[in-house]
Amino acid sequence: MGRLEYLALLTLCLLVTAPLELLLGVRVYRQLGRLARALGCTGLVFVGWDLLGARLGHWDYQPASVTGLRLLGLPIEEYLFFLVVPLCGIMAYEAVRVTLDGGSARPRRASPRHLGRTRR
Amino acid sequence: MTFGYTLFCLVALALTLVLERLLKTGVFRDRRFWIAMAIVGFFQVLVDGWLTCRPVVTYAEAQFSGLRLGCPPLAIFRAGGMPLEDLLFGFAMISQGLMWWVWWGRRMGRASH
Repeated sequence: MGRLEYLALLTLCLLVTAPLELLLGVRVYRQLGRLARALGCTGLVFVGWDLLGARLGHWDYQPASVTGLRLLGLPIEEYLFFLVVPLCGIMAYEAVRVTLDGGSARPRRASPRHLGRTRR
Repeated sequence: MTFGYTLFCLVALALTLVLERLLKTGVFRDRRFWIAMAIVGFFQVLVDGWLTCRPVVTYAEAQFSGLRLGCPPLAIFRAGGMPLEDLLFGFAMISQGLMWWVWWGRRMGRASH
């Protein structure tokens, strides 16, 4: 796989979760605006962390396994990682939600003030 | 700085709890959140395991606890596997992603939770 290895692994993550959208009726890709906002808010913090961590030498990337395209010193795969992985998490959550709630029922809303109690 | 990554992960975990206090999404009391997290955790061990066993990503030994999950005894794997800290990292990132997803869902008028 060589230099495409990291990229291939990220693609695999997308391919494995994508069928949930069609087979389970998960509505994640169909809410692109919401998805983009959620990924943006999460990515901002974690890309910042990643830039700092790489600069401090906490971790490094094997040049033989990444394309070599870099942005601010980080492999572009790393930016994609912070989009792909939270997306997979959202797909998993929505898949569980659709499965347990049957998809149609309006889900319960937990009250933030009263532990363990649902419904306002 | 030694244990730099360990410290980062603990800070990320704390920030995740603070963010939940602010966003009040209720995910931590949501059974579906924990089921999804268990599923994601399983796949994290596979994907992150691949990245850290091959390795694609390497970690400075001094910057984490030194505890790794290990790798299958195969010739294609030439490194030690994922640091235990990665589980905290993953939990923080996936939690924040889901919190923002739920929060934006409410704000944009969709029932997601």
